[in-house]
Amino acid sequence: MKKILSLALALIMLLSAAAVVHADDGMTITYMASQDWVQDAEMELAEKFTEQTGIKVDFQIIPSDQYTTLLMSKLNAGECPDLFGSQAGQFDIVTQLNVEKNAVDLSGEAWAATVDPLAASETSVDGKLYGQPAQDVSAVWAVAYNKKEFEKLGLSVPTTYEEFKAVCEAIKADGMVPVYEAVSDGWHHQLWFCEMGVAIEHDEPGTAEKLNNNTMKFADSAAAKKLIEQIKEMADLGYWGDNYMANEYADAARAIAEGECAMTVANQGFPAELNAAYPEFAAEDIGFFVMPLCDNQILNMNPVGPTRFIYSGSDKIDAAKQYLAFLAEPENIQYQIEKVPKFNTLPFTTAKDAYSPEISAFYAAYPNHGTVYQTCVKYVNPQWMEIGKELVSVIQGDQDAEAMLKNIDRNRADQAAAAKDPAWN
Amino acid sequence: MNKNRTYPTYFVFGALLLYVALYMLPSVIGLGYSFTDWSVYSEEIHFVGWKNFATVFSADYNYTRMLTNTLVFTVVTTLAKNVIGLALAVLLTKKVKLLNFHRAVMYLPCVLSALIVGMIFKSVLNPKIGLLNTFLRGIGLKFLASNWLTDSKIAFNSVMAVDIWKGMGYIMTILIAGIMSIPPTYYEAASIDGGGPWQCFRHITLPLLAPTLTVTTVLNVIYGLKVFDTVYSLTNGGPGFATEVMYTGVYKEFGLGRYAVGTTLSTIMTLVMLVAGYFMIRHMVKGDGQEI
Repeated sequence: MKKILSLALALIMLLSAAAVVHADDGMTITYMASQDWVQDAEMELAEKFTEQTGIKVDFQIIPSDQYTTLLMSKLNAGECPDLFGSQAGQFDIVTQLNVEKNAVDLSGEAWAATVDPLAASETSVDGKLYGQPAQDVSAVWAVAYNKKEFEKLGLSVPTTYEEFKAVCEAIKADGMVPVYEAVSDGWHHQLWFCEMGVAIEHDEPGTAEKLNNNTMKFADSAAAKKLIEQIKEMADLGYWGDNYMANEYADAARAIAEGECAMTVANQGFPAELNAAYPEFAAEDIGFFVMPLCDNQILNMNPVGPTRFIYSGSDKIDAAKQYLAFLAEPENIQYQIEKVPKFNTLPFTTAKDAYSPEISAFYAAYPNHGTVYQTCVKYVNPQWMEIGKELVSVIQGDQDAEAMLKNIDRNRADQAAAAKDPAWN
Repeated sequence: MNKNRTYPTYFVFGALLLYVALYMLPSVIGLGYSFTDWSVYSEEIHFVGWKNFATVFSADYNYTRMLTNTLVFTVVTTLAKNVIGLALAVLLTKKVKLLNFHRAVMYLPCVLSALIVGMIFKSVLNPKIGLLNTFLRGIGLKFLASNWLTDSKIAFNSVMAVDIWKGMGYIMTILIAGIMSIPPTYYEAASIDGGGPWQCFRHITLPLLAPTLTVTTVLNVIYGLKVFDTVYSLTNGGPGFATEVMYTGVYKEFGLGRYAVGTTLSTIMTLVMLVAGYFMIRHMVKGDGQEI
């Protein structure tokens, strides 16, 4: 009896071993990205990709406030997954990501020629393309507002900071929180500062160039100081409500749909996203205006967004390349534009955009364009999360605007010195 | 077997080699890198002397605040865990109904992962929808409802409170073992002499528990100086920089690719732990000597 039992057990063990071997037959590539960077549509496409090729895609989604540090730690330790997501930017992909060492040159891929030239320039070094844009970069971060609430209170789109304050006061008096701001994610609230680099550039032309040449510091900019003071004032006057420190951006749509808040900083995919989650709220009921800090009326453009890179140390580079090629197929690009509410287009020449008349009208309302500072000023984007923390320290009264700007300058100088930037050395 | 037989010295070499390779060598290499400009941005490494140490102790940077926070965290949590752990240990060595159940409940938090505890308490301490503020508002104590983790003035206290909650059960368990090893005859003799509960605690429990308390203090101090996970999961060093500790700083520096500053912070912490460890162990050894 014992012998039979032993034989049966041995047989089961052998079968299990065979099953494990069989399961390992298919290859798995791992893609690490920050929260909100991988859409459901991409996951569906990944399943389709697995059906076609047998290659599985394992997504590692990391909370946004921890992502940059984790990615940098993994890159620096040489333990990065096969694919990783990161914000692009012609300066940062060199100084921060060191793509020439850490990422695979994708210039030879068939889809590389179809990447929008402006987006391609932000993911390229010396003419070599290292990344594949993952999101719509045509959208700008602007104030999304509930048109019905504005109509009810007889409010019009503000064009100056004082008008914006008056709008906020009226909304507050109506019992709503004027602006839904999400500080707990760590990446959202500093949009009010970095995106408004266009306002600094308007008030003090040539600042970006001087900052890049190290002939000027942020602390020298009166406009930058004014921006921070206005951000603090918004929070102090209660325009962000009581709970902004614990708010999460993922809850913004609910807050607007349920009438808790009237405005939030969002991009142009927001109305469709809101409508998809709350069908009773029409996408057309959301309007946009540029952040009016420092009386800004310039559209803040940013040709950079989350981008997919293949890690150079991966032993599955070919499989990862196949995955990127699959995602860049015209029908799959169109599939993402159709399925992801916040995508109006993708930066590929093969993409057909899906702008609504309202969004087209918003872009048309601001003929003057400028590039945001996290893209056109060196060593700003790598300290994005730090800038968020600095801003929180100002808002909570732990430091003033000048101290914050000096800290940003100091961090920039540290990075520039480490990178042996000639302008700093 | 010959009881007097001693093993040859070379038997220790294997363990010594592993210890040196895995513990001593990285520390020494780390110490060496603290004097360089090692970073992700440059392939070359240069000797820069005490520059990194000057940076860490410079008023322009936030590192002194991290160091202060770490020391405050260590002192407060060590004291609180010992005091509360001792109180619980004394209570749970009395005749109490469902004794083991109570002990298990108190011990339970320390078996949970710090990340899970962090996630639970992030939810419990949410100012708007969190359990604590909802409860306070519900019983009419609305004025006590606070931004526990998002106000820079109280966030660090909240982090310490969560850590104390998580760690006190562990300390309690060690102290229960210590109390149970005290012979009951001492208490009987004391009660015959008319000693009350406080006198028994003051003159029997506490002195005989001193060696155990030294052990729990050493454990708490080392844990406190190395704290990372609780802070990382609850506040990630925020709001602003209010709850940054040394190891969240080290993690951040490595993440930013500033390896040399990261290793400098590690080196400083190693030195602090060496000094603290040396005095604590010396105290323990001295205590043992007196007992003999």
